[in-house]
Amino acid sequence: MIDSPTETVLHSETVHLVIPCRPEYVGVARLAILGIASRMPFSYDEVEDVRLAVGEACTHAVERAGAAAATIRIVSTINSHALKIEVSDDIPAGSIAVLSEESRLLKEAGVDQQGLGALLMEILVDDVTVDTTSTGTHVVLTKYAPD
Amino acid sequence: MTLINPKKATDWTQDDTETLFLRYARNRDPQMRDRLVVMHQNLVRYLAGKFVNRGEPLEDLIQVGSIGLINAIDRFDSERGTKFSTYATPTIVGEIRRYFRDKAWSLKVPRRLQELNQTASKAQEYLSSRLGRPPTIQEVAQRIGATEEETLEAIELGNAYDTVSLDSKMMHDSDSSPLSLAEFVGAEDESLLNLEAYGDLDHALASLDPRERAIIIHRFFKDMSQAEVARQLNISQMHVSRLQNRALHQLKRQMSSEV
Repeated sequence: MIDSPTETVLHSETVHLVIPCRPEYVGVARLAILGIASRMPFSYDEVEDVRLAVGEACTHAVERAGAAAATIRIVSTINSHALKIEVSDDIPAGSIAVLSEESRLLKEAGVDQQGLGALLMEILVDDVTVDTTSTGTHVVLTKYAPD
Repeated sequence: MTLINPKKATDWTQDDTETLFLRYARNRDPQMRDRLVVMHQNLVRYLAGKFVNRGEPLEDLIQVGSIGLINAIDRFDSERGTKFSTYATPTIVGEIRRYFRDKAWSLKVPRRLQELNQTASKAQEYLSSRLGRPPTIQEVAQRIGATEEETLEAIELGNAYDTVSLDSKMMHDSDSSPLSLAEFVGAEDESLLNLEAYGDLDHALASLDPRERAIIIHRFFKDMSQAEVARQLNISQMHVSRLQNRALHQLKRQMSSEV
């Protein structure tokens, strides 16, 4: 018998996904997240919420990257009590390089779109941290398993 | 909603918004509210668009989102220093998410994907014969009017529900003509149907608030009288009757929307 450690170690699994920072790959990330989030005891609505939040984080990176070659790194960690998804890019903080059609609509309405994306993520998952530095942006989304 | 002399959202600036909110807060003029609604249509449209791949028409989502917008306009206090869009977004998104929840949407998703999967495989067949080669995902997506992501999702998830044509031939007896699969399909099993209805009922019951649920369970599963239930819950019999009617109404609505 092995001595059991004093604290319970959560068994967790990790999926790494690195995609080009281009609009056509956001769908790929969303599809992968669909599969990953489905491993959790989430309802359809919750899976879709996670997917939407990750899509927001990626879209935000895509809009900042513009034509510049960049990658988005998505690391999803699953364990019995939460799904944690980290979305990181290597695009220096700065202004939006390209605007999607829908973002243009928002800008016309005088809405701060970056703030709105962060707000939307906060509504959709349980915990959001956004860390922007000169070397890139790091977003951590956490959704807890239902009790 | 009738809009009197609607202005385009772009005709307004941030200053106008603040002035309008201040004026609306003072006089609650419906015309002023209509203007505020029109000005923020783009916000609703943007947020509703985020939920469109969940299988409900965009127009419906914009409608429910607009209800959230109107509520937010009515409750917004511009002197608190929060931007209206920040204030309104949770309300609008909340209304849209509630719409999915209330429609017991999660029960319909597999069916939607199944349908999309069938549409996709028909399109695949059609395009194969027309192009003389298997079509790409992009071509299938274009043909069925879905995004590539949706198409892939439908193909991937829909595979779990492989379907066979009812006309497919099952037997080749040399004398008789072949029988189709349809001839082997039995009648619907009543008790299974009941079981299914029971499942729906279970789901609908879960949507009631605890007190209404207790009333339904006492009245119809434990055969208690309204008076007995009233005593148990420590409320008047009239109140029980009212809550019961409301609960039954909601159950009926829930279950008919699930059919």
